[in-house]
Amino acid sequence: MTLSADYLAQVFNTTIRYLTPILLITLCANICSKSRVFNIGLEGTLLSSAFFAYLVQNKVGNIWLAVSVGMLTGMLFTFIIALFIVKLNGQPMIVGMAVNTFSQGLTTFLLQTIFHTKGVVNDVKVTGLPKVNLTFLEEKFPIVYKMFSKLTAVDYLAFVLAIVMFIILYRTVIGFRIRCIGINPEAAKSLGLRVDRYRVIAPTLSGCMIGLAGCLLSLGSVTMFMQDISAARGYVALAANNLCLGHPLGAIASSALFGFTKALSQILQNVAPMQLLECIPYASTIAAMAIYYAVTTRKHKKRKAL
Amino acid sequence: MAETMFEMRHIKKMYGTLAANDDVSIRLDKGEILCIVGENGAGKSTIMKVLYGLEQPTAGEILVRGERVRFRTPSDAMAKGIGMVQQHFMLFEDLTVAENIVFKNEVRKGPFLDRKTTFETVRQLSEKYALKIDPKAKISDCQVGLRQRVEILKILYQNAEIIIFDEPSAVLTPLEVEGLLETMRNLAAAGKSIVLITHKLQEVMAVADRIYVMRLGKVVAERRKSETSADELAYLMVGHHPATRDIPAIAPGRPLLEVKDLCLENDGRDILKSVNLHVDAGEVVGIAGVSGNGQSELEACITGLTASTGGTVLLDGKDVTKATVHERRENGMAHISEDRFLWGGATEGMLYENALMAKEDKAPFSKHGFLNKRSISDYADDLMKRFKVKASSNTQKLHELSGGNAQKLITGREIMMNSPVLICCEPTRGIDIGAQEFIHDEILKKRENGDAVLLISSELTEIMTLSDRIYVLFEGKIAGEFKRGAIDEKSLGILMLGGKINE
Repeated sequence: MTLSADYLAQVFNTTIRYLTPILLITLCANICSKSRVFNIGLEGTLLSSAFFAYLVQNKVGNIWLAVSVGMLTGMLFTFIIALFIVKLNGQPMIVGMAVNTFSQGLTTFLLQTIFHTKGVVNDVKVTGLPKVNLTFLEEKFPIVYKMFSKLTAVDYLAFVLAIVMFIILYRTVIGFRIRCIGINPEAAKSLGLRVDRYRVIAPTLSGCMIGLAGCLLSLGSVTMFMQDISAARGYVALAANNLCLGHPLGAIASSALFGFTKALSQILQNVAPMQLLECIPYASTIAAMAIYYAVTTRKHKKRKAL
Repeated sequence: MAETMFEMRHIKKMYGTLAANDDVSIRLDKGEILCIVGENGAGKSTIMKVLYGLEQPTAGEILVRGERVRFRTPSDAMAKGIGMVQQHFMLFEDLTVAENIVFKNEVRKGPFLDRKTTFETVRQLSEKYALKIDPKAKISDCQVGLRQRVEILKILYQNAEIIIFDEPSAVLTPLEVEGLLETMRNLAAAGKSIVLITHKLQEVMAVADRIYVMRLGKVVAERRKSETSADELAYLMVGHHPATRDIPAIAPGRPLLEVKDLCLENDGRDILKSVNLHVDAGEVVGIAGVSGNGQSELEACITGLTASTGGTVLLDGKDVTKATVHERRENGMAHISEDRFLWGGATEGMLYENALMAKEDKAPFSKHGFLNKRSISDYADDLMKRFKVKASSNTQKLHELSGGNAQKLITGREIMMNSPVLICCEPTRGIDIGAQEFIHDEILKKRENGDAVLLISSELTEIMTLSDRIYVLFEGKIAGEFKRGAIDEKSLGILMLGGKINE
C-alpha cells in the first residue's frame, strides 16, 4: 500500500461520502437538543426516510418526488417524537426507542410485502440521486477531480445547510429564541414565549435534514435499500452533536471525524481483520466522548473555582 | 392626590379549602414604594402572583389605572405595564446581559438580530436608571447582585410602570442589598411605582412610603412609614411581641470540634489559609464574614463535602480529616447546609423520605434492609409537629413547601440526630421571624444539652445573639476571635471588610 496523492484523494472522497449523512443528522440533532427534545429516535427516522425515498424512486421513478417523500418522512417522524416528548410528557428514551423499533419493524415488513425479500433490494433499473460531475476538472486537476468525484448535489447541500443553520441560529431572531429555549426554557416561558410551540416546530422542520440523509443512504453512492442501512448513524450523530458543542459549523468538524474513521475502517480492509475494523468508528465515538468529557469537566471545575 | 396605578378589591384566593388570600384589598399610587410585609405563608406572595397573572383569583376584581382587567398569563400583566422581579432569576446563562434583556422584544433588522443597536439600547437603558452593567458580559460571569440588576433592566426594557420585587434581598450580600434599596429609590424617583414583598423590616423602614401588613391571608394593617416603627410592624406581623432572649451562661466543656491549620487550595488560589478554630461542649461558636470569604468552603471541608488540601479536622479528639461525609455523621456530626435544596434535601422526595434521610439503616426505621413504613411515617409526623412544618401530609414533596417550611424540616431532621456536633449554615436564610426564633431556640437547646454548635451565617444579628464566641473570617483567614460581648456590631463589620480595629 503506497500513500500516493491519488490514494489520499480516494480517502478524502470516501470520508466526504460518509461525512455528509452524519452531518445532516447532526444538524437535526443540534436543533432537537437546543429545543430540549432529547431525540434518540434519529436512527429510526433515518431508516424510514431511507426506505420511503427508495420506495418512491423504485415505484415512481421521480427523484424530486423521492427526495420530497424522504424529507416528509423525516419531518413526520421527528414531529411525532417532539409532540410526544413536549406535549404529551413522554419519556424521551422510551419515545425514541419506540420510533427506532417501529421503523425497524416497518421497513422489514414492507420490504417483505412490497419487494418480497428479507435483506436487500437492489434493482439496477432504479437510478439514484444525480451525481455532480466536475468533468472540467478532470484534465487539469485530476486529483481534485478524484477528491470530489461522484458526489451528489445533496452532499454539497449538507455543507451549505450547516452554514445556513449557523446563520439562522446565531444571526436571526428565531434562532436566538431557539437558543434561549435551549439554555433556560423556564426563563423563556416567564417572558411569555410560547415555548412548547417552538419546541415542536423547530425539530419538525429540522427533520427534513434526516430525510435528506436517508436519501443519501439509499439513493446516494449506492442505489439500494437493505435492512439496517442506517447502521447506527443516528446514534453516532448524537455523539457528534455533543462533540460540536452545539455549533453547526463545529458539526462539520465532528462529523468529519466520524466520516474519516468510517473511511479508515474501509481503507484498512486488507490490513486488519474485518471485525476489528468495523469497530473503529464506534470505538472512536467512545474515545472522543471520553476525551470531550474529561476536557469539559476540567474546564467546568476551573470556572467554578473562580 | 397621586394617580392610582392599580387597585385590587376584595381578592380571595382558595387552594382547596385553604384561603391563601381572604378579602384582600390593596392599592398602589404612582411613584411610591409600597411594602407588603408578613410572615411566610401570610399570603403576600400569593396576592402578587394574582396581580401578575400567575394565579387566578377565586373572587374579587383588579383594576389597573382604573380599567378592570383579567390576567390569564404574566404576558397579559406585562402588556399592562406590570413587571415582576422573581426570587429565582430567570436568565440565560450562556448569553450576554444585553441579549437577556431584549429577549422576546428583540431589536430586529429584517429577520436578523441587530446586535449593535441591541448593545446600544441596553447601555442607554442602564445609564438612564443608573443601573450599572456591562451589556456584553456573559450572565455566567455575573455575580448575584448583577444578575438581579439584569432582571430589573429586563422589566424596564419592557416599559413596565409597576415593578414588583418578591423577597429580592434573600439572595444578596449586605452590600448588594444597599445597592438594591438605592435602585428602588431611584426608580421611584423616576416615576415608577414599586411593590416590595419582604419580611425584613430594616429594608422596609429604609425604603417604604406605605406598608400593608398581612397575616394569615388577610391585610391586618395599613401604615405610612412616618407613622410606624419596625417594632410595631413586627408586632403586627407576628401578632405578639418577639420574646427577648435570655441566654444562661454555661461553662464550656472539652473541645468537640477542632480545626487545625485547615487549608484549601483550588487552581492555585488559596481559599482557606491555615484556619484554626475549636468549638467546645456547650458552646455556640459563630463565624462572621461577608459571604464569599471562605465560609462555604469551610463548611464543605469540615463536613467532608470537599477534601481539604492541608490541616486536620478533629471530632471529639478523633481525626476525621480523611473521613467521608457518612463516617463523620456516624461519629456525631450533623449538618444544616447553606443550600437546603442542593445539599440539604431531595426536592422531588416526599417529606417523610426527607425526614428519614441518613437514618434509613437504623432501627426502628428498617430491619434487615426492609423499611418500616409505619415507624418512618410516625417519626416524620412527630418531626413535623415538633418543628411546626406546615404541610398537608408527610407525602407532599419537599419542593412544594415554602422555603421556610423546608428549612424547618431539614433543621429538625439534623437537630433530631442528637449529635454532639452541629454545623449550622445560614439556618434562617429566607425565613420569617416566627420560624427564625423557633430555630434559634432549638440551637440554644442543643447548647444547653452540652453539644457544640458551629454557626456560619451572614446575618450579623444572628451571630451576635447566639454565639458564645465569634470568629471573623476574611479572605479565608481568621481575622479575629471574640468572646460574647467583647465586640460590638460596628467593629465586627470593620473586621469583616478587612479593616483593623484600633486597640
